[in-house]
Amino acid sequence: MAYEAVIGLEIHVQLNCTTKMFCDCPNRPGDDPNTNICPICLWLPGAVPRFSMETLEKATLACLALNCEVQPRSAFDQKVYYYPDLPKGFQLSQHHMPLARRGSIEIMDEKGKPKKLRLHNVHMEEDVAKLVHETEGRIPISLVDFNRAGTPLIEIVTEPDMRSPYDAMEFLKALRIQLRYTGCADCSMEHGTMRCDANISLRPEGGDQLNTKVEVKNMNSIHHVGNAIAYEIKRQTESLINGEPIVLHTRLWDPEKRITTAMREKFEGPCVPDPCVTQILVTDEWLQNMASKLPEMPNQKINRFVQQYGLMHDEAAQMTLERELSEYFEAVVRLGASPRTVANWIAAQLLPAIKERGYEFTTSPVTAERFAGLITLLEKEEINSNSAKSVLIKLFETVLTPEEIMDQFSFGQVSDTGALGVIVDQVITENASAVENYKNGNKKSIGFLVGQAMKLSKGKANPKRLQEIFKETLI
Amino acid sequence: MQEKLFTYMDSSPSTGLNDGLLGEISIAIQPNMSVRGWPIEAGSRALEGFTAIYDATVIKRLKQAGANIKGSICMSELGFGLAGDTGAMVLNTGEVDSVLITDTMGEARMAACMAGVIGFKPSYGIVSRFGLIGLVPSMECFGILAKNLDDIAKVMSVVVGNDSRDLSMPEFGSGFEIPNFSQVFETDEPIRTCGIIKECLEILEKDESRAFDAVISRLVKSGLQIQEARLKDFDLDRIVHNVIGSVEASSSAGKYDGVRYGHRTNTAKNWNEMYMNSRAESFGLLVKNYLFQGAYFQYENYDAFIDAARIRTRLLAQTEAALEGLDVLMLPTRHAAFDPFSACTINTVYDVFSWTLLSNITGHPAITLPGMVTFGDVDLGLQLIGSRFQDARLLSTADRLIDLA
Repeated sequence: MAYEAVIGLEIHVQLNCTTKMFCDCPNRPGDDPNTNICPICLWLPGAVPRFSMETLEKATLACLALNCEVQPRSAFDQKVYYYPDLPKGFQLSQHHMPLARRGSIEIMDEKGKPKKLRLHNVHMEEDVAKLVHETEGRIPISLVDFNRAGTPLIEIVTEPDMRSPYDAMEFLKALRIQLRYTGCADCSMEHGTMRCDANISLRPEGGDQLNTKVEVKNMNSIHHVGNAIAYEIKRQTESLINGEPIVLHTRLWDPEKRITTAMREKFEGPCVPDPCVTQILVTDEWLQNMASKLPEMPNQKINRFVQQYGLMHDEAAQMTLERELSEYFEAVVRLGASPRTVANWIAAQLLPAIKERGYEFTTSPVTAERFAGLITLLEKEEINSNSAKSVLIKLFETVLTPEEIMDQFSFGQVSDTGALGVIVDQVITENASAVENYKNGNKKSIGFLVGQAMKLSKGKANPKRLQEIFKETLI
Repeated sequence: MQEKLFTYMDSSPSTGLNDGLLGEISIAIQPNMSVRGWPIEAGSRALEGFTAIYDATVIKRLKQAGANIKGSICMSELGFGLAGDTGAMVLNTGEVDSVLITDTMGEARMAACMAGVIGFKPSYGIVSRFGLIGLVPSMECFGILAKNLDDIAKVMSVVVGNDSRDLSMPEFGSGFEIPNFSQVFETDEPIRTCGIIKECLEILEKDESRAFDAVISRLVKSGLQIQEARLKDFDLDRIVHNVIGSVEASSSAGKYDGVRYGHRTNTAKNWNEMYMNSRAESFGLLVKNYLFQGAYFQYENYDAFIDAARIRTRLLAQTEAALEGLDVLMLPTRHAAFDPFSACTINTVYDVFSWTLLSNITGHPAITLPGMVTFGDVDLGLQLIGSRFQDARLLSTADRLIDLA
């Protein structure tokens, strides 16, 4: 019997708010241990949580970016469990009345067809403290860092709409793009600002029942999520073939061995309404105000780039992958460079160069102005594309303008007929057989001759002009 | 004597500003109200050695008004039930003018009733809970014992009002106002009508009934209008309070793990055992029972909790409806002798408080006046329940009822 996988994801995303969720402590979990703490996030006796408006605003923007229905009334519950990273005995989360319900994200499936993946709900949740396990001499000790305790998270719960590791990875990429656009979250699985658990079950292909699922945790990259799901599908398929029952439990992904191992029974603690944090009422007016703060999202932007700038769909998609990238692209185009050249040069040259040097678009020394200057030189044929690549490298290394670099390092293109004529003459003298071929009708030989001339000019000659001069000379 | 009543006395010279509104007033508190630098153990081994690192909002306001906060008194574990009548005894020694105690089930009213003083519980949400250590956040609030209404009004005028550190308080100014306690007793607005609750009178014993009837007829003779009000689910207040209270308590006490403060066990092989043994050694039997019961509803019978929450909403609506057109609802407060050392079951605690739970469930303000409901050996308190956020009016009504009776 053929089986198909039924996959749902639960994703925790850290919101980049200034403060924690229920107190004024800075939301900087990475600082020196236990420096961003107060009686509220330590939950000392007498502490009263004070819900931060910024958390609500950023969480709402995220919900809108994921096409969710923000609920007019939502509330916090206490998720009760006892563990050293949660010394108050419950985590404040929204179980019974989440901030938003439904929602969806569209991906392209393996066959290139659009596929809509639905969300079940999005809710707010406080993060817990971080446990650090060390040894003191030969005694193992566990330390608790409360910097992360009470920092704001949203949890995104999907419907079980995914059928393959590919679906899940595409979903996570699309989710990350949408959320990063809002400016509310960094969504880095590597840095732990986005964490993903996968629920996987199998059923006979084409069926519609939901069978017992297995939860997999501990994947810290999108690729790990794909690998873990693929492994789990294989493992469960073998179990079914061998007639072993699938039991509801939680497994851990081991990235070294590339397998999942059983961790514990799946644990669901009770959830009771919290009596201290007031319910959240969202009015239409407030929601409209939030919606107006939402930036233009990738799908809208792709369409606009195609229409306004004449980009191909793929080029537009590439220029909108990150909000900063799309804003950089538009800034360069606004300075007069032609959009498709800009898009191609960003994709083929600038992006790899920025990545290689560990910059972001916002921190790169190649500002939109300097990059636009370079593209303009190229378009005016003052430099050729070879030299343009060299100028780009110098833009990272110096503070000079593209023109200054071109002059100082003599990257300027030679288009002068006299100067080029001398080179052409020399090439004709030195390459008699190629000249003969050309004259005998092998028009391709001219490419070889131009190449030789370029070499002689140390890459600075205008190849178009060279070709013209060769043609005129060899009639 | 003093040492026995007080568990902690402030040795530092009074920092009170004598010209403040409370410059003449000295106060005792329960050790569950945070006073910076004081041991705040809330009557529990679970907080053994815990010292408050900040002032509760209430304490901050009292200090600013010049009150002399003398010390803290004995209290029941985490405020569940009553620790005898220490609060009222301190008041009766004349050591202090007012005692502040947490009112979760009716403690302030009950203690007042036992000692013949006045006990007041304000509307839920008008006094900040920041820095108050409790067990049942949705029911408990700051309560006052005093010998006269004047002192209660004075203390209330200082502690009342919004606090940016407690967002569970309603936003005053949007539809309702903060009660104004400054000129409570200068009103000439007449009392209209007081209500008596039929369902409540039906369960009075014979002599209690006579005592209550007697005060009602005295009031009628003095010209007061009395009207019968209905509170269909009055007898459910006990189960509602018990279920919701224990669920909230179970969560609230979750933080007492003996790791950062309080008692920590010596006998544990791992952290799980450390939690369990520390908690087992810290909590008394009564609190333990209550926490277990709450955990039962959380883990095993959540539907019962939801039912209780639904009935709570109904009780609130019924109380509001009963108060419609009335100044106050009147009912007796029965004081039962309460021995914290023998009364170790949840039921005996609820037996004691069965007359005072309602306003903790619904958040209405309530006050108990002593010495007015008597017949033979019977000596009940007269309890008045006012409309929400009409606390000042409740105090002025109480003032005039004392005159009329």
